[in-house]
Amino acid sequence: MLAAALPLGAAAQGQGLQVFACEPEWAALVKALAPQAQVTAATHARQDAHHIEARPALIAALRRAHLAVCTGASLEVGWLPMLQARAGNAAVRDGQPGMFYAAQQVELIDRRASVGFNDGDVHPEGNPHFHLDPARLAQVARALSQRLAQIDPPQAAAYAARHTAWQADWARGTAQWQQRAAPLKGQRVVGQHNTFAYLWHWLGVQQIADLEPKPGTPPTPSHLQSVLAQVRQAPPIAITHALYQDAQPAQWLARQLGEDKVAVLALPSTVTDDGPSADLASWMDALVTQLLKTLPAR
Amino acid sequence: MKRTPHVRASAALLAAAAALTPALGQAQAAPDAPDAPVSAASVPAASGFAPTVGAVLDLGYASQALALGERDKGPHLGGAELTVESPLGPWLHGRLTAAAHSHDNKIEKHFEEVWLGTTALPAGLQLRGGRFLSQVGYLNEQHPHADDFSTRPLLYRSFLGGHYFDNGLRLNWTAPTDFYWRTGLEVFSGKQLTREAEGAPRAGVFTLSTKFGGDVGREHSWQLGLSYLGNRRAAQAHHDDEDAGMPGHGHSHEGHAHGAQLAGKHLWLVDGVWKWAPGGNNRAQQLRLAFEFARQSGLGEHAARGAASTAGYLAAVYRFHPEWEAGVRTDWLRAQLPHGDHFHAARLREYSLMLAWKPSHQQTLRLQYSQQTGAKGFDNAGKAITLQYIISLGAHGAHSF
Repeated sequence: MLAAALPLGAAAQGQGLQVFACEPEWAALVKALAPQAQVTAATHARQDAHHIEARPALIAALRRAHLAVCTGASLEVGWLPMLQARAGNAAVRDGQPGMFYAAQQVELIDRRASVGFNDGDVHPEGNPHFHLDPARLAQVARALSQRLAQIDPPQAAAYAARHTAWQADWARGTAQWQQRAAPLKGQRVVGQHNTFAYLWHWLGVQQIADLEPKPGTPPTPSHLQSVLAQVRQAPPIAITHALYQDAQPAQWLARQLGEDKVAVLALPSTVTDDGPSADLASWMDALVTQLLKTLPAR
Repeated sequence: MKRTPHVRASAALLAAAAALTPALGQAQAAPDAPDAPVSAASVPAASGFAPTVGAVLDLGYASQALALGERDKGPHLGGAELTVESPLGPWLHGRLTAAAHSHDNKIEKHFEEVWLGTTALPAGLQLRGGRFLSQVGYLNEQHPHADDFSTRPLLYRSFLGGHYFDNGLRLNWTAPTDFYWRTGLEVFSGKQLTREAEGAPRAGVFTLSTKFGGDVGREHSWQLGLSYLGNRRAAQAHHDDEDAGMPGHGHSHEGHAHGAQLAGKHLWLVDGVWKWAPGGNNRAQQLRLAFEFARQSGLGEHAARGAASTAGYLAAVYRFHPEWEAGVRTDWLRAQLPHGDHFHAARLREYSLMLAWKPSHQQTLRLQYSQQTGAKGFDNAGKAITLQYIISLGAHGAHSF
């Protein structure tokens, strides 16, 4: 075969496709579509993916990569360009098949024409946390399977077959989660950051207040007071924050509202290394389960 | 004045490369991409000319000027930078930084960076040409506005003119190893380090450096570096001047803040950084330890055999809240100061304490107390309280480790 003559001959010859995933959800997706690949996840669920350092270990991982899978939409703007500049890996610079941005495969919500100096960490391209919408995640999966085939042509048929199987499972899962989550429709939550906006959108949940005074700024006492005043009359079912965020502001607000009435949920904003959210499907399942538990028993 | 032709040459180089770039003018700003999802098989075209512009302003107030200090007493401009950066076609990247700062209550302006670098060489190789910051040591290749303290360590202030940038060429190789390993060679004119030199070679300075780094578990990361800087201009420097190289007497004959205060033919640097973030979440909390040590030798024809100047620092910074950092640094310098046909042994220690508030990633407000003790050969050693405010506008590139 001519495979060995291709730039990725090494991968085809069984040394393994090396994939650099900026976030754990993309690492999980690559593992689902290309189980033989060696995948490095640059971040984990207990880190804020906006604020990662361009660490030596990450430069080394990107240097070795045949494919990098990242969110885009400026989520990694604080560190990925530095990693690309330092790694000196021509395969994963912008515009190459080896640099896959998931945000280029889907439509984003909350796009902005411009971002002012005092607007906080908002992205003009839109909210980049779209992996929390199963439909958008499926769109990314389709594009990613095609990109894998382009990068590693000898395995193209295998990637297509894996994707077909994954897609069927995911569609079945999506229908089940949606059905189970039906009682959540119209319920109110207080969130922290716009991390779960796509999930709320999909499930019909309303985020009525944000613990952050502006995106990316940690909660302040005065802002929490104003949130308390805003939601006291009609409390939410839960106050949610991501695993990597400090639990104290959410707990404070819950105490003010009456702890037995309002639950505090530490939700994984992406798949975790182990536990009940170790792959994409179990993570979605766990999110729905956690949210359902906050509903009053009937 | 002497550097003007080089700046012009570098700027011309950048302009010429931009003109030769076929994709120039086909701006492709990502935010303007169409709503419709891009077909998966189609890869977006290589970035053409898509410049980003950013500005950084560092304003300060110091109660005193320190020996070998960088900051003027009273209100001062710590630095102002305007940076334009862009990919230039599929293979090149360019960057231009114009900077200004106050020195002896006058504003000094210069081009700090005017360079072109490759982005698509094979095998982890990278070539860069123009004017840029040397990669010796840990801090030198970082912009001072990203530092954890309002003054660079004594090591940098005495041996490298604060931060050493120059006109030259760089070749780097990053190995495809499990740990990080970068090795590089730089050749510079050397005029920014040793200004006055007679009959000096065109390539006055060269550097060799290597860096290793990695993670230990999820919470710890480290980097170690070793660098050598050979200065062929140092031997031809005007050491016979009574004042030359005498930091205590200022450096009025140079009329510029940059340029090393202490010259030597050989400079070796060792650097180490260790960072710890509980749970790996560096945004919430992080401890950073940095250490550097440098030894300068080949001090000139009148120096005794084996005579050397050494300097080092140890710094610890703790981010105890996403918006707050506190730090402590201890610096030391043992120098041989040229004095006509002989050398005087000189010593200086410096201790710094700092507290920084970072309400957003665009702003830093820092209060620092520095005390210089055990001074010998430096007549203006003292104490200083510095208040520093840094604001960045527009695009500001990602910071390195």
